Amino acid sequence: MTTCPRCDSNETKVLCESPVKGCWIMYSCPVCTFTWRSTEPEAITNPEMYNPRFKVDPSDMGKYQIHPPIAQKRKS
Amino acid sequence: MVYRDLRSFLEKLEEEGQLVRITQQVYPEPDLGSAARAVNNLGDQAPALLFNNIFGYNNGRVALNVHGSWPNHALMMGLPKDTPVKEQFLEFARRWKNYPVPVERVDTAPFHANQVTENINLFDILPLFRLNRDDSGCFIDKACVISRDLDDPDHFGKQNVGIYRLQVKGKDRLGIQPIPTHDIGIHLRIAEERGENLPVAIAIGCDPVITTIAGSPLTYEQSEYEMAGAIQGEPYRIVRAKHSNLDIPWGAEVVLEGEIIAGYRELEGPFGEFTGSYSDARHQPVIQIKAIYYRDNPIFENLYLGMSPTEMDFITSINTCVPLYHQLKEAFPEVEAVNANFTQGLIAIISTKTRFGGFAKAVGMRAMTTPHGLGYCKIVIVVDDFVDPFNLSQVMWALSTRVAPDKDLVVIPNASVLSLDPSSEPPGITHKLIIDATTPKAPESRGEEFAPIVEPPRDTVKWEKILKELINK
Repeated sequence: MTTCPRCDSNETKVLCESPVKGCWIMYSCPVCTFTWRSTEPEAITNPEMYNPRFKVDPSDMGKYQIHPPIAQKRKS
Repeated sequence: MVYRDLRSFLEKLEEEGQLVRITQQVYPEPDLGSAARAVNNLGDQAPALLFNNIFGYNNGRVALNVHGSWPNHALMMGLPKDTPVKEQFLEFARRWKNYPVPVERVDTAPFHANQVTENINLFDILPLFRLNRDDSGCFIDKACVISRDLDDPDHFGKQNVGIYRLQVKGKDRLGIQPIPTHDIGIHLRIAEERGENLPVAIAIGCDPVITTIAGSPLTYEQSEYEMAGAIQGEPYRIVRAKHSNLDIPWGAEVVLEGEIIAGYRELEGPFGEFTGSYSDARHQPVIQIKAIYYRDNPIFENLYLGMSPTEMDFITSINTCVPLYHQLKEAFPEVEAVNANFTQGLIAIISTKTRFGGFAKAVGMRAMTTPHGLGYCKIVIVVDDFVDPFNLSQVMWALSTRVAPDKDLVVIPNASVLSLDPSSEPPGITHKLIIDATTPKAPESRGEEFAPIVEPPRDTVKWEKILKELINK
């Protein structure tokens, strides 16, 4: 099991493997949409070393702006 | 000289010594982002980079910094690579006036060679990579995104070709940032009002002219393709998409067809932006990809962003100056040139003749009230007509010898600016500044007796020519 470096979720999944097999694996996090490659530096792949400024708290997703606002449907 | 695709432009760059091939094996991260940052640090004559040995790929190719220097910008326009910047500006401004040039439509394109509609995986076809450390994933940020106005789908001019950052979120799924004031933001609003998804085509690795025009501030009804024709001097070649009424640049390396999902937002970002700062994560729209087309051994062209200088200083440079110049000229024919090359024109330098005291301040205010100025032109420096605004030594001379801080600074409070400006507070609102660095004129009291300028000795131009010839011997 791989933990998301950005939001610490355990729901991460393998996004894909390198076209040349065995070189790297891409992971993605369905909770915060972060993606990372197995060969990246630890500041990206290790949840404890990930930049605290950009950590995401899955229980506080409402704080992020909706951009652009969703337009209201016209009345038919 | 017309380049129908990226490949023919790369050949030209190589012929002119403006392309470096990197054949040693590189890792997607941090090598590709680091190399792109490094080449931008080498100055404004730097070459494009072409990588062909990327770890994990058999035939992956990545092109970076294709537009990223003045020689490359000149070659994009078909000019000699040593064409001075002001001359590139004046020639671009001249060609801009030839708009519109009708397009050339054809039925097939090289990217039809390969097609994937099932089990799509962007990572199989494109050597995607993270540009900067705190980006939330791999971004595609130099692709032409094409969409139409669903209320007026047959209006060719309202079809938009623009460059928007795209976060790769899955094998067939992208995030997109459509700024509400940009044309695609208008298209998305209309689609959502209608309750329909917005079809998009994404052309990656195009000829250098359409990429330049896609980054230009055209009006809503102006066609990027008809403007590309004006800039290259021949009709622009397009091909109709197979699953929509969208028109696509003929020479694209890779084309993605899909749609923006109406009424849905998902976390996107942060991303290291052209301002040199990260823009924070936001809930933004998502594109579902339905088909991919690509040339054999496609080239993935991408753009490094960060603190200036970057390729952005060239790809959104003259194309930003020129519309601003033409709009200013309508009100003030005295305007000589506009340098809005930096951070898409957040700062602009205007050279103009002046008729009387206070004139330059009015020119500065007009720049801020142009359509582009509403989101940019936070600082406008106005210099005399004999100052080349592209020559920063001359601009600094004007600032240091013409400006009296108690008389020549005008602050406009609480004006509009694009929300990505990290200094705006709240995002999108800022005070703006005009600096009048022109020589004072009457009825200003300083205008009567201002110290006369030191004119160049009589034969200076002749001697420039002699010296150039001696140097080049």
